[in-house]
Amino acid sequence: MSDAPFKNPGWAGNTGEFDLTEEQVRGDDFVGDRPKHGGHASGAGTLPYMLAEKNPEAKLFEGEYQERFEKILTRYPTKRAALLPTLSLAQELRGYVSPESMDRVAELLDLSPAYVRGVSTFYTMYNKRPVGRYLVQVCTNISCNLCGADEVLEAFLSYTDTELGETSEDGNFTTIEAECLAACGFPTCVQINSRYFENVTPAEVPKIIEHLKTKGGD
Amino acid sequence: MADDLVTLTIDGHEVSVPKGTTLLEAAKTIGEQVPHYCYHPGLSSPAMCRLCLVEVEGAPKPMPSCVTTVMEGQVVRTMSEEAKGHREGVLEFYLLNHPLDCPICDMSGECDLQDYVHLEGRKQGRGVEPKRVFGRDDFGGDVLFYGDRCVMCTRCVRFMSEVEQDERLTVVERGNRSVIDTFFTEGLEGTNWHGNIVDICPVGALVSKDFLYKARAWDLDHTPSVCASCSQGCNVMLHTRDNLVHRVKPRENLEVNGWWMCDHGRMDYEWINDGNRLEAPLISEDGVSRRAVGWKDALGELLGRAEELEAASVRAVASARASNEDLGALAELVGALGGGETVFRSPRAQEELVLKGFPKLARRKDLAPNVKGAELLGMRRVGDDAGAGGLDSVAEHGSIVIVLGDVLADQGEDFGAGADLYVYLGTHDSPAAKHADIVLPVTSHAEQEGTFTNHEGRVQRFWPALQPPGMARPAWLILGALDAELTGEGAPETAAELFGKLSDAVPAFGGLTYPDLGTQGASAKVGAGAGS
Repeated sequence: MSDAPFKNPGWAGNTGEFDLTEEQVRGDDFVGDRPKHGGHASGAGTLPYMLAEKNPEAKLFEGEYQERFEKILTRYPTKRAALLPTLSLAQELRGYVSPESMDRVAELLDLSPAYVRGVSTFYTMYNKRPVGRYLVQVCTNISCNLCGADEVLEAFLSYTDTELGETSEDGNFTTIEAECLAACGFPTCVQINSRYFENVTPAEVPKIIEHLKTKGGD
Repeated sequence: MADDLVTLTIDGHEVSVPKGTTLLEAAKTIGEQVPHYCYHPGLSSPAMCRLCLVEVEGAPKPMPSCVTTVMEGQVVRTMSEEAKGHREGVLEFYLLNHPLDCPICDMSGECDLQDYVHLEGRKQGRGVEPKRVFGRDDFGGDVLFYGDRCVMCTRCVRFMSEVEQDERLTVVERGNRSVIDTFFTEGLEGTNWHGNIVDICPVGALVSKDFLYKARAWDLDHTPSVCASCSQGCNVMLHTRDNLVHRVKPRENLEVNGWWMCDHGRMDYEWINDGNRLEAPLISEDGVSRRAVGWKDALGELLGRAEELEAASVRAVASARASNEDLGALAELVGALGGGETVFRSPRAQEELVLKGFPKLARRKDLAPNVKGAELLGMRRVGDDAGAGGLDSVAEHGSIVIVLGDVLADQGEDFGAGADLYVYLGTHDSPAAKHADIVLPVTSHAEQEGTFTNHEGRVQRFWPALQPPGMARPAWLILGALDAELTGEGAPETAAELFGKLSDAVPAFGGLTYPDLGTQGASAKVGAGAGS
């Protein structure tokens, strides 16, 4: 235990029982980096967000992705059951789930394209439109809202000079609202790609954005 | 009481129903129709509309009656204050985003939302928030989608995936934003049964483009009939107004078509409304000019000319679109005039279009309703798959030629030129009737009573939905009167009487009568009299 008075460092789980610094927990891969090969035994994309090297035209699936797709199929009793991880994989590769991706995934899994569209629009973690390198999801549900989530959202929008759901000109930031991120104890919670930022205030927004730009930006 | 029956009390009435019956179906047996949207007897029950909630004694919560099965000794109240209160609450939610555009909605008058809200809804809405707006979407084919009217019962989605088994529709998005849609620009084109989703839509969300703004539901008369577009014999309702058929809807018959019918048959009704009809008997003086006469003169002339002929032989062309009664009367008349052969033609499709989720039902290859009936009555099929050709021996026949119902579209003006007596009975005139000595106007199946025999030998009744044009009369009435004059027997006065005689005479019909047939039809003994 350090002698310093306990201050919530901004991520869930540190109750002071572990002597880990924020740097140790988060490491250098602040955002933007992700496990190179999907990082999950299933071969599925564990983090269905943007890759820096996104390619909306990428073929579904070939090479390493083909192998991962085949691995996904082996883990489910029916092809239909493999739909969600397959969509994740498509999003990992192309950055978002386009109508073409849905059609191709439907073909691969012997499903109807309409059914795949229904599923992929039901789940909010599939991006139906291209998003920036950093997908900023500001929780505006009750707890966060009471603690000023609207101002945080407004700060992200104005600092990145975008409208809600649109991507900034440099292609870096897309800001959207999220329903509860399950971090009600640390409002306002903001999820940027796979990483949570907690207790965010409007004043901290420029710092976060500059950090992203320098650490993981172009 | 048998073991497989369960006795329970619904609204104070004791009912016994088979094990596994749902409360909703059990309530139907005592005439209680529990309001519901998502439940349809031909589809799976997701219990998602929450409208069929009823009070079950002992249950902690209201139960959805469409999936709750009956239990011994259960006490169910579908109309108690509590049950009504639940439904009133659910209905209030349904109206949250409903546009209430009944005055311009095609479904108005036959809409379940309208009915239930009138019956059990709040008298006044409490919503103050603006309603979300989707607008409308063209689903392709005959279907137009009004998103705002939708109650998300997903009957259409389930029909396409479970019954048609071509999953073109889906629920897109979630929660408040969810809406029925197709896959982007792909529509319902190319599917053969999508008209049914308009029928099963409980509200005005899915409407028929063909019927759009044509008539109000309450102005339409409904007449039970049989689809005349193929030999399946789907039971249908003809919806008519101002002596015109405005649309065709399937009529429930689990033995034939379930609740469904194909788009081919559904859209094939304009010909019934065709105004270009024969309206009076015509007598040809010399093969050049025609004279309209009354029925008495026409039939008298016909009989007079027939009597002049000695040792006559008859060649007749019948139509597989004519009823059993028409064909039976024709067969009798042919016999009375000296005997001969009767042939018929019918177009034939390349393949059957089977409804995968209800394989009993298909658009059959024979595109006429009474091919089986004509065969059972000993008529011989000629011609090709387009329903053309095969009439050379009739066209050049020298004695008596009778044509019933076939417009002879492929025949030239010299058809029957060499006949001593050429009688043409039809709904429409034809160039091939130029040499007809006597032309008699007959009614279509929508204007007369009768029966068709479907592909598997099921005899089904249809009823007159329209007034016949001018002096047109049912063919059986005309032919029966002629036959009576020739044989000296009494003429049939009703189709029922004629069918009774027919089924006594033809073993295949096995003594069936109209009361036996009822509204759902009955099977003839197929094979017994076929081809005799």
